[in-house]
Amino acid sequence: MTDFIPTIGVEVHVELKTKTKIFSPSVNGYGQMANSLTNVIDLGYPGTLPTMNEEVINLAIKAATVLNCKIRRQMHFDRKNYFYPDNPKNYQITQFDTPIGYDGYVEIEVDGKTKKIEIEEMHIEEDTCKSTHRKEKTLLDFNRAGVPLIEIVTKPCISSSEEAKLYLEKLKELLFYCDISDCKMEEGSMRADANVSIRKDINDPFGTKVEIKNIGSISNVGVSIEKEIARQKELIEKGESFKEQTRRYDDKLGDTVLMRVKETGNDYRYFPEPDIPYVIITDEMIERVEKTIPMLPKERRKKYQELGVSELNANKLVQNRSLSDYFNQLLEEKINFKVASNLLLGDISGYLNKNEKDITETTLIKERFIDLVNNIDNGTLTSKNLKDILDKVLETTSSIKEIIDECGIKNITDDNMIKEVITKIINDNPDSVADYKAGHDRAIKYLMGQVMKETKGGVNPKMAMETLINELNK
Amino acid sequence: MYLDKSIKEINELLKSKTIKPIDLVEEAFENIEKNKELNAYITLNKEEAIAKAKELENKEVDNLLFGLPIAVKDNIVTKGLRTTCASHILDNFIPIYNATVVEKIISKNMIIIGKANMDEFAMGSSSRTSYFGAPKNPWNKEKISGGSSGGSATTIAARDLLFALGTDTGGSIRQPAAYTGIVGMKPTYGRVSRYGLVAFASSLDQIGPMTRNVYDNALLLNVIVGKDPKDLTSSSKEVEDFTRLIGEDIKGMKIAVPNYFMSDIVNDDIKDKIKDTIRLLEDAGATVDYIDMKYLENAVTLYQIIAMGEASSNLARFDGIRYGHPKENPKDIEDLYLSTRAEGFGKEVKRRIMVGSYLLSGDNAKIYYNKALSIRDDMKQEFTNVFEKYDLIIGPTTTTTAYNLSDSMDDPLKSFMDDVLVIPVNMAGLPAISIPVGFGTDNMPVGLHIIGNSFEEAKIYKLASFIEDKLKLDLNPFGGEK
Repeated sequence: MTDFIPTIGVEVHVELKTKTKIFSPSVNGYGQMANSLTNVIDLGYPGTLPTMNEEVINLAIKAATVLNCKIRRQMHFDRKNYFYPDNPKNYQITQFDTPIGYDGYVEIEVDGKTKKIEIEEMHIEEDTCKSTHRKEKTLLDFNRAGVPLIEIVTKPCISSSEEAKLYLEKLKELLFYCDISDCKMEEGSMRADANVSIRKDINDPFGTKVEIKNIGSISNVGVSIEKEIARQKELIEKGESFKEQTRRYDDKLGDTVLMRVKETGNDYRYFPEPDIPYVIITDEMIERVEKTIPMLPKERRKKYQELGVSELNANKLVQNRSLSDYFNQLLEEKINFKVASNLLLGDISGYLNKNEKDITETTLIKERFIDLVNNIDNGTLTSKNLKDILDKVLETTSSIKEIIDECGIKNITDDNMIKEVITKIINDNPDSVADYKAGHDRAIKYLMGQVMKETKGGVNPKMAMETLINELNK
Repeated sequence: MYLDKSIKEINELLKSKTIKPIDLVEEAFENIEKNKELNAYITLNKEEAIAKAKELENKEVDNLLFGLPIAVKDNIVTKGLRTTCASHILDNFIPIYNATVVEKIISKNMIIIGKANMDEFAMGSSSRTSYFGAPKNPWNKEKISGGSSGGSATTIAARDLLFALGTDTGGSIRQPAAYTGIVGMKPTYGRVSRYGLVAFASSLDQIGPMTRNVYDNALLLNVIVGKDPKDLTSSSKEVEDFTRLIGEDIKGMKIAVPNYFMSDIVNDDIKDKIKDTIRLLEDAGATVDYIDMKYLENAVTLYQIIAMGEASSNLARFDGIRYGHPKENPKDIEDLYLSTRAEGFGKEVKRRIMVGSYLLSGDNAKIYYNKALSIRDDMKQEFTNVFEKYDLIIGPTTTTTAYNLSDSMDDPLKSFMDDVLVIPVNMAGLPAISIPVGFGTDNMPVGLHIIGNSFEEAKIYKLASFIEDKLKLDLNPFGGEK
């Protein structure tokens, strides 16, 4: 079998998280009663005109910035003319000539190497309404009509389904972290189309392009690209040719299905939208938006690890934006970040999941958390103690010290007391001491176990271990 | 007859409670009934208007336009009042919202009498493309009233009432004003909100006042202007009193007459009237220079490209899905579109949609539309250059007086050539007025066109009122009984 080189480009539509629609004061919302979030502008009534939601421009500037795009300083909107029932005006207001962002990139890690997925352009446009087909009828829900979108188009620079998936994950993470979009593919707030072609040699011209539309999840993007590459390979190897076409991914079939063959280029009769004046983007606007960009995931991972958090924990924290944001307010503190990350991802996460709460919904304000971390770090609290007092820590506003006192937790942190206990254990277990001296590491674990037993877990393990080793080595 | 009095007199009568708004409303409806055959209206608002008039009886007469009847061109949406754009496709359309201008006239307690006849979707210059038949010229019922604001012009000329709103995309206020001997102003693009004006060519459309005299015109403009958050193309230019220069001396004013406006394209009897007016101005101490201006002869071509291109897109929404009437039981979506639009639109509208679609298709948008926009900028610059040296530009509004209703409609270019003198103003986004300055050999009215620099409507009114005052024309088409 000949090896083929796939060429893949990805187009992503993302719904922006704005309060209102792009060109009307209607609420931008999901899951509401059909046609309840509409007005005469969304319905394309005669005489209505678009207004411009400034929030959209700001979010688009933000997206362009985090996608490393150049930002167009003077831009306009265009009309894309086509008749379709989901298109209320029978033209869609979009950006054709002057997309707000261009020449950007997103970095992904493939096989330990960094690859730049180049972004051709990103532009602003309005969403269409949602059609539902019932037998002979088509039902239209205009709640989605006029929801702001940005469309992000890569260059044909993706060479595998794996890269496409990594790109989408990275894109999703960036847009989600910057509060640009919910990026919920299952709700349609992020939608991906893939353009796939294959060729034998890198010097050959591109093969015939096939577009796969509206794929419902990132993993399905991967599957549909794989399937499409295989399908094209088979056809070419059989010596068959095929036309440029649009397919969709059918989740039940687990394969792509033909939608339409492109006979001629679509004629959308684009022209500048006369109802919206040019939008000028100033340095000041960009600076203002830049200030709202939070620390991005890549930087967070790096920063956490510099502070002593393990790679695993750093990744886990970043996957949970709420915990990561919580963690970020501690970065200037002098605490044991390893302990802090374990605490957040361990017992606290367990509590939050069980009670379906967000960390910000608990009583654990920053100061109490720092207190808690320090008490664990200095041995005042053991992990067993923590389990006992967790509910009080997360549900009351008492100080950590008050909770410790109230629960009668008294861990032995006094050097002499520890020494006393350890001397007793050493004297009671001469065999294990001998094993230790003979180089059997297991013996020390047994001895520590005895120490914990003797103190009913009420001793600082770190201090106990240090003392035990000291005494044994005497 | 109260509606034959001046606005100030009527206001005094209302203030002193000698008359009530209902008297004005009833008189207007009587006039309209008497002039029924002129076909100035598509829909009358009788019940609502009477109810409104009665409601106003208990209110304080707080402005000059209080209680005055007004006609609104039928492409401006009125809540609860049928708005058809003179098209079959919208002949059952009852809007659920008001245009911004309608909100503004209502806020001054003006009373909407009805929706004025017009060319279908304002496409035409004789109002003969109306689905409801053409209005007739009060000066001669065999003649057109012009268009597209033909109904608004007709009702004012027939002295049914004092105020009407028209719209002007390529001369549609000024040309019918000239043909019927009334005053029609197209304000600077952006002066008046277009929200609720059913779009024909968005970058050109502008709403304006149509009245019997210059002062009334300025008064109505005072009411309808202003930045509208619902229209991004509306100007934030400060609202001013447009009557403020009326009555001022015109001595020292510098006026330009482009040679093109007085060339062979214009009939001699019209040129004679304009020359008479020019002498009048010179006698009053104004200077009048004949000048050459570039691009004027290109205006019609540019207009066709821009207006038809935009129209083809603006009219795409009429598909029968959300309003209007769709074809019953269509075979499929294609059938719904084709049948609804084939049945709903008239011939001229279809022709312009087709030409407009062609002009925007494929590479044509770049070759035609974008190029037209760029030449339009040059044209605007040419006007700007003239206004560096001159206060105003004048000339005839039309090349002929109103022609016969029975004249052929088969020459699509003729309709555009009717507007050759008024279209450059829309291309440059400037304000301009047409005022009557006499009658042609056929006894039909002749209009003078006064063009100002952007936002200089007040200066236009100053000159217009001066001429009006000097000429003191009798403009009652039914004889001079006042």
